[in-house]
Amino acid sequence: MIETSYFWFIFVCLMTGTFIIRGSLIAAASQVKISDRAKEVFSFIPAAILPAFIAPFAFFHEGQAQWVLGKERFLVLVVATAVCMATRSTVATICFGLSALYVITQYLT
Amino acid sequence: MRPYSKFFILGFRQMIPVTTGVIPFGAVMGTVFYNSGLSFFQSMTMNIFMYSGSAQLASIDLMTKHAASAVVIATGLVINLRFLLYSAGLSPYLQQSGFWTKVVCAHTLTDQSYAVMSANTNILKTKTEAVSFYLGTALCMWLVWQSSVVAGFIFGNFAPTSWSLDFAVPLSFVALVIPTLKNYKYVAVAAFSSALSILFYGLPFKLGLIATALCAIALALVLTKRETRS
Repeated sequence: MIETSYFWFIFVCLMTGTFIIRGSLIAAASQVKISDRAKEVFSFIPAAILPAFIAPFAFFHEGQAQWVLGKERFLVLVVATAVCMATRSTVATICFGLSALYVITQYLT
Repeated sequence: MRPYSKFFILGFRQMIPVTTGVIPFGAVMGTVFYNSGLSFFQSMTMNIFMYSGSAQLASIDLMTKHAASAVVIATGLVINLRFLLYSAGLSPYLQQSGFWTKVVCAHTLTDQSYAVMSANTNILKTKTEAVSFYLGTALCMWLVWQSSVVAGFIFGNFAPTSWSLDFAVPLSFVALVIPTLKNYKYVAVAAFSSALSILFYGLPFKLGLIATALCAIALALVLTKRETRS
């Protein structure tokens, strides 16, 4: 259970902070010049952050104690990354990943 | 707006194929909301006013583990730091727009609508056309996202667990990251971030994600610095 006041406090902070991030450079554009270097560093943000979100999600699916077993999700994710690079398709990546994981968990383990 | 409504419709239509990745993600978000014990009102308030799936998923996960408020907020905002990039990318088109257009465009910035927008800049000749096109993508994204979260909240728990629908989330993130990897430096940062996040997973107070993100951005700073010198 998530406590009500805890939830609302966090929600309001996240909503405000997220809006400030999204709006900041739109609002500042007329006053501030964004350097090319800053833009280049910004372009690394998805690569820097999103993998850190998904890798542990798949790697520790069976909990932290198991470092070797229960890694089928991580393996499928790695192969799905290759599928995504080859096809550049969200649908193909998701379909491949879900069916591969289904086959492995239902028939191979 | 009227002379440019064809660009609005074009943006809306260009977004439709992309939403095939959004629907499973939204359905999982709805299911996560339901399983966390939040009410429908709480869930949809967050989903409408915060409107950022990955930060919501991470913060709900941390809240169910009773992490400290500061850690939950910092993690969510670090994940959303990537919107700085999109905000910078969109700002040139919005310089002549009104205040409320800017507010709507800022609030509806998502990975998907920004990606579709930047893939189509060659056909958008004026700023007004670009803003109309963007708003079309944003409306399509908004409708699909909100309805798939509602569907996930109501029906998600009926899907058999053997389908592992929650795995669609990391998969759709892969599809989000891969197109941003423009050269080996981006690949290096992404690989470094994945490896470090696994090592840092056990850090106290659930600080792993923030620590990894900061280290990976530091690596990006080093890699780009070397390039500008040579």
